[in-house]
Amino acid sequence: MGLYIHVPFCGSICSYCHFSRTADHSPENRRRFVDGVLAEFEMRRAGCGVLSAGKRRLATCYLGGGTPSELEADLVARLLEGTVGRLPLAADFELTAEANPESLDEELARRWRELGVTRVSLGVQSLDAGVLDLLGRACDPATAREGLARACRIFPRVSADWIIGPGLRKENLLAELTEAAELGVEHFSVYILELHQGTRLAALAEQGTWQPAPDTEIERLYLAVIEHLDGLGIIQYEVANFSRPGAESRHNRNYWLGRPWLGLGPSAHGFWGRRRYANFDDFGDWLDEVESGRLPEASVDPLDLSARRLERLILSLRTRGGVPLEWLPGRGWDTEQGRREGLWEIIDGRLVLTGRGFLRIDTIEERLAGLTP
Amino acid sequence: MAFNREKTRNFCIIAHIDHGKSTLADRLLEKTGTLSGKALQEQVLDSMDLERERGITIKSHPIRMDYSDARGESWTLNLIDTPGHVDFHYEVSRSLAACEGALLVVDAVQGVQAQTINNMYLALEHDLAIMPVINKIDLPAARVDYVIEQFIDLLGCEPEEILQVSAKTGEGVQELLDEIVAQVPAPTGDPEAQPRALIFDSIFDPYVGAVAYVRMFAGTIGKGEKIKLFGNEKQFEVGDIGWFRLDRISQKSLTAGEVGYIATGAKDVRHVRVGDTITLAENPCEEALPGYEEAKPMVFSGMYPTDNDQYDELFDALQKLQMNDASLTWEKETSAALGFGFRCGFLGLLHMEIIQERLEREYGLNLIATLPNVEYEVLLRDGSVELCENPALLPDVKYIAEIREPIVTASVITPKDYVGPVIQISLERRGVQTKMEYLDPERVNIEFDLPLNELVVDYYDKLKSVTRGYASLDYEYITHRKDDLIRLDILINGDMVDALTCIVHRDNAHNWGLKLCQKLKELIPRQMFPVAIQAAVGTRVLARTSVKAFRKNVTAKCYGGDISRKRKLLEKQKEGKKRMKQVGSVEIPQEAFLAVLKVER
Repeated sequence: MGLYIHVPFCGSICSYCHFSRTADHSPENRRRFVDGVLAEFEMRRAGCGVLSAGKRRLATCYLGGGTPSELEADLVARLLEGTVGRLPLAADFELTAEANPESLDEELARRWRELGVTRVSLGVQSLDAGVLDLLGRACDPATAREGLARACRIFPRVSADWIIGPGLRKENLLAELTEAAELGVEHFSVYILELHQGTRLAALAEQGTWQPAPDTEIERLYLAVIEHLDGLGIIQYEVANFSRPGAESRHNRNYWLGRPWLGLGPSAHGFWGRRRYANFDDFGDWLDEVESGRLPEASVDPLDLSARRLERLILSLRTRGGVPLEWLPGRGWDTEQGRREGLWEIIDGRLVLTGRGFLRIDTIEERLAGLTP
Repeated sequence: MAFNREKTRNFCIIAHIDHGKSTLADRLLEKTGTLSGKALQEQVLDSMDLERERGITIKSHPIRMDYSDARGESWTLNLIDTPGHVDFHYEVSRSLAACEGALLVVDAVQGVQAQTINNMYLALEHDLAIMPVINKIDLPAARVDYVIEQFIDLLGCEPEEILQVSAKTGEGVQELLDEIVAQVPAPTGDPEAQPRALIFDSIFDPYVGAVAYVRMFAGTIGKGEKIKLFGNEKQFEVGDIGWFRLDRISQKSLTAGEVGYIATGAKDVRHVRVGDTITLAENPCEEALPGYEEAKPMVFSGMYPTDNDQYDELFDALQKLQMNDASLTWEKETSAALGFGFRCGFLGLLHMEIIQERLEREYGLNLIATLPNVEYEVLLRDGSVELCENPALLPDVKYIAEIREPIVTASVITPKDYVGPVIQISLERRGVQTKMEYLDPERVNIEFDLPLNELVVDYYDKLKSVTRGYASLDYEYITHRKDDLIRLDILINGDMVDALTCIVHRDNAHNWGLKLCQKLKELIPRQMFPVAIQAAVGTRVLARTSVKAFRKNVTAKCYGGDISRKRKLLEKQKEGKKRMKQVGSVEIPQEAFLAVLKVER
């Protein structure tokens, strides 16, 4: 099983981000947040036989955000102690924490390592000053490089987030990835910039003061990244994830394999007991619930058979493991044509999307869903 | 009240669509006390919701009114409402045949329109007393003097003979009633002769079976008697007989001159055809009343459920609709592209739209209707003639000697400023101008011989658009005529889509194919694979284009494990796809099957 804890605090708000986060926080509400998570954990544990009996070992834990590195090390210690510390751990337990290069300084990094963090995921996004500025990142290229080097020195595994966005030159982007890989980054999450309503970037695009890159440009960059990382021995294993063999994120992979995990904190999602739940997005709403002794769930999605089948299909499609051919619809689906068009390959009886296929995954999923009863 | 032929007046109201026929009928009901103001719902005679919504009468409904004039004399007035659309030409003519008089109603703002003129000729053919009525005189834009001039030109009447009313306010309606009594002749007919009753409409009642609406021309028919229909020789026993208020009022018998209903007990309204004559089985009349024709469908379209599971429901719904609509025909049909469905025949475009709408609305069906078609006569080389109303079933070209298509006379009345565009769009649709006359200094009546197929595709819409809605149209079938017609196929990813096949004139095939491909390209959404669209005559490809595949379309992150959101989105999209039809590995939206309607010439 896995555990996800959402830390909603940020030092500043990025121009593209639509996640649950707030830059307006104080020592007081950081403390209440940690207490709240512990209370939520206790409630969930009390309500679940498997958890309270300690029958299942915790394989992975992921501190995401927001920016977990905004949290004081002592609070992180309490947070982990009251959650991870109360569960039996698997022998190869993986503990990942997200951080920004500028807030994970030497001291904090050492504390995290002592607390058992085995893997950090650094939100680098770019090593280009112009791009960082546009994205509203509170980090300059030099600081980002330092942060990467430090993380690679201190943690056994380091992952870095990059964004494929506007104003990028292919050569520069690929050179940045090479540089990071040479510093010791073994895992990359490369996202295509998406515009979400309510973000600064979306507002700029609407005013016309800024324009997203054309699709053809984005496609070219995405395909170039796949090829380039592959050349460095860092292989794509999911739509947006690349790693050296053996360095995949085990926590994320369990999402795609449909394994159970517990989610804690505002906006956290969990998959537990064959149902999916979503906590309240807003920090205040979530806090009200847990402080009043109620489970902070905003919605619960009981999965029926057809929902489970559809999820299994779309999640498998996202990975390079692909989909067994026998899951595909019998009518209206042309496996051969997709192969001819280079959208997928057939490997050992499974349909596996290529980079070009991943670029159209929404359409392919929509098509599959439409044909699946 | 006993029936007094001398004190009876049978009349109808004829008018162009929207000229206020139904409102006037309501007002007559109110003035005669047939309906109290409270019970008076707008347009009570139009019983279907759809009629009320569209403001048109589809099913006519007669009603009997008792009227006492100023001198205290009592009259029986039978108002026979008529359908107000060109598709129902034949039904209108049967209703007129049941009357002695007609109110020819013209809107004071719009003046005489195409249907006004055609209705007037129809009324003259039936030798009716025609009473010119100007309606809507209360409107600020009313042009009463102008319409008076038009009536004088049209009917050669005197200005003082023209009645002026406002059905809305009731002004002039009292005078109108007195004039009906004064001008419409009393019905004639020998009550002692062998009975003859004209069926001018029929409906299906789930309790008593098919009910004929009749005008008695001779003799008497009583409850319980054995009757015979001339057209099909079928015999029935009169289960109920009587006349109309808002509902049916039972009587012992109906006699010459009366208007009423006869419940036949027939299980199907098709046994009780409009225009047929009813007589007694034991004492039949010698001859049927003149003018009986079987209503012949003119426009055909394939109806398919988007979801194949709805096939049985569609079948049931069509059966039910047909019980009440003898002019609707259908037969089972299979399309390689659309699966199982029905080829339906309609009197015209409006009739088709109404049936489609009722199927979707009243029966909750999701339908794909193919392009409307007409019935071609195909002369084969062996000398035989085949009828073909589905282009995809046209015999192979090597067996065909010639193809004949239905031609109609289309009459268009338009303000003179639009004569040029009207002629242009008509010529573009292979129309041949046969007549042009000025009705008055402002307005022109133009007639064309026009292939019906061209008319059903988009002529009416086009006419309305080039004349800013001012033109009016009426049409009537005249003949089938030979022309150089060929079959144009559409291929999607190399496979012929039978539902998109059409028959076009050879000279237009290339241009048509090109534009049709272009239109389909706009209507078929991008999908996973590129979609190749071709237009072909036989094996010769005339035009080709393609819908490019979707490009970048990737939601990179299932963030924080939020998988439900993605799945629910997919489930929603799946719901939205219900109106798409799966053809091979391509999804084709419903509108694409009507793409031809949207092609610019």
